[in-house]
Amino acid sequence: MEVSFGITGKDFVLFASDTSAARSIVRMKSNEDKQKVIGKHLVMAYSGEPGDTVQFAEYVERNLRLYQIRNHLPLRPSSAASWTRNQLATSLRSRKPYSVNLLLGGFDPTNTTPELYWIDYLGTLGVVPYAAHGYGAYFALSTMDRWHKPDMNLEEGLDLLRKCVDELEKRFIVNLGEFTVRVADKDGVRQVNLKSGEAVVPV
Amino acid sequence: MTSQGAKLSNYTGAPQQRSFNPYSDNGGTILAISSENFAIVAADTRQSEGYSIQTRYAKKCYQLTDEVVMAVVGFQADGTALAKRVKQRLEWYYHTHSEVPSLASIARMVQTMLYGKRFFPYYAHVILGGIDRDGTGAVYSFDPVGSYERESCRAAGAAQSLVQPFLDNMVYSKNQTADPSVAPLPKGERPVLPMETVLSLVIDAFTGATERHIEVGDGLQIWTIVKGEGAKLRELPLKRD
Amino acid sequence: MSIMELNGGSCVAMVGKGCVAIACDLRLGNQALTIACNHEKVFAATERTYYGLPGLASDTITVRDKLRQRVNLYAMKEERTIEPETFAHLVSSTLYERRFGPYFIEPVIAGINVKDEPFIAAMDLIGCLNFAKDFVVSGTASEKLFGMAESLWEPDLEAEDLFETISQTLLNAVDRDAYSGWGAVVWVIEKDKVTKRWLKARMD
Repeated sequence: MEVSFGITGKDFVLFASDTSAARSIVRMKSNEDKQKVIGKHLVMAYSGEPGDTVQFAEYVERNLRLYQIRNHLPLRPSSAASWTRNQLATSLRSRKPYSVNLLLGGFDPTNTTPELYWIDYLGTLGVVPYAAHGYGAYFALSTMDRWHKPDMNLEEGLDLLRKCVDELEKRFIVNLGEFTVRVADKDGVRQVNLKSGEAVVPV
Repeated sequence: MTSQGAKLSNYTGAPQQRSFNPYSDNGGTILAISSENFAIVAADTRQSEGYSIQTRYAKKCYQLTDEVVMAVVGFQADGTALAKRVKQRLEWYYHTHSEVPSLASIARMVQTMLYGKRFFPYYAHVILGGIDRDGTGAVYSFDPVGSYERESCRAAGAAQSLVQPFLDNMVYSKNQTADPSVAPLPKGERPVLPMETVLSLVIDAFTGATERHIEVGDGLQIWTIVKGEGAKLRELPLKRD
Repeated sequence: MSIMELNGGSCVAMVGKGCVAIACDLRLGNQALTIACNHEKVFAATERTYYGLPGLASDTITVRDKLRQRVNLYAMKEERTIEPETFAHLVSSTLYERRFGPYFIEPVIAGINVKDEPFIAAMDLIGCLNFAKDFVVSGTASEKLFGMAESLWEPDLEAEDLFETISQTLLNAVDRDAYSGWGAVVWVIEKDKVTKRWLKARMD
């Protein structure tokens, strides 16, 4: 029942994830952050088997950090996505595969383009302008097909995101609660409030 | 060691299950194309079950009236039974009304006959070809429970997936951009195909299907139904391997 | 739910007169849901050898990367570029290494060898080779591709005619396949020229 969205715009990438931590039919927590900032301009939204998700996300986070320490250079979004995909593809044919789906992306300062990668637990990698994981895909992808434009500014991007979330609230039988939204652009990564569009100051 | 008749399972009281499958698939492919004043209905003559050829000369086309031919593929027994009953209904109709029903009416009758066996269907895909009330060539295609539609070309049976894209391309001109030097046809209309062109399309479709599908081959029956001239059958050989 | 049909996609390769062509569709799906329509399945092994890997999208990428490594190692050890015939055997043995836990892809290969002769090949997911003289097909629309190619292809087509033939074959086949389509790419390989063209296709 988890949902995550990713949208690229003119010079940014938007990520949105639901905040429910569910076990069976019970919501155990309603402020779970299912995203990780894995570089100065890099974000990863993850969903899947509870346990695997955090374990794998932290594994990716620490390895990307290690690369940066060793090489004094961070991996670019395309390389980070490629490495992460490879880990999942290798894991798929192991004794206990990770069951984690990802939206990985960010702003590449070297060529000043926003990039978004759709990755699933099989190690499938798609380079996409907008994407969704979970049941949200069945509701939001057509909305994104209709309204997405490659040269959108941040406000238009947030508007599209609101359209998608509204569609879920209207047609999806499960109430997912609030959404965590992050923006990755040339200035780095920041969390924003979906309703107001204002930056969220970490407590 | 227990003997054949004294197996433990015979005495445990466990329920014994038996089953009978009333259907079989006898392969083969049929195809029909219509044009302005004629229609062509064609079928190969191979009949098979699994990897065995039962006969190299089985008819899948039935002439129903002077200007209507029906082709059937799927389970041969159901196909012939259906054809027999359709012919019988047409004879009764002729005896009561002293006239032959139109292609559109026969198509509607076939639908009711197929849907009449909705819960024990004829395992048969039907295509009707002929001249309709308005004097144009027409093709009607059916699914086994009677959903039907008037079209201008349709393939069915074992090699449907091989033949239908070819017909889309050649008959409906799909993925072909129009010649800009020629004035475009009015919307909804498509170029009228002459008989020779359609005949060579049918032969190409079947030789292609014969080459790549094991259940298609042996012989080809082509019925040409021309307005005012009635139906004519021609037979051609296909590869027998 | 078949693994080979999870992501959808199809490839075809054809021989012409002194040229070969290879083409693929662009769909990446998750069963009936389309994820992306920019997913190319044909890659370059050398300047005049290309290969397509339709099947499970994850394995498409894994095997593409693995083959890139092996082609580069071959180039370094042998100090020459690999021939399409040799490359076909390289792909075949790479797949057979995983005989009892295969990569779920069915490759097609097209290239021109050092004698300027056209070459195509295809194989199943465990590397059983098929050296056809006319055309090879693979992917979820393979049956439809067989029907189209069998009726459109003819021997000794010139490069431009071969392009038209392979394009019509692919487009009309994928239009009848729900798992393939959403755009297409065609490569035509001649002895001194390689052309890549994107086809305008139905997007439904």
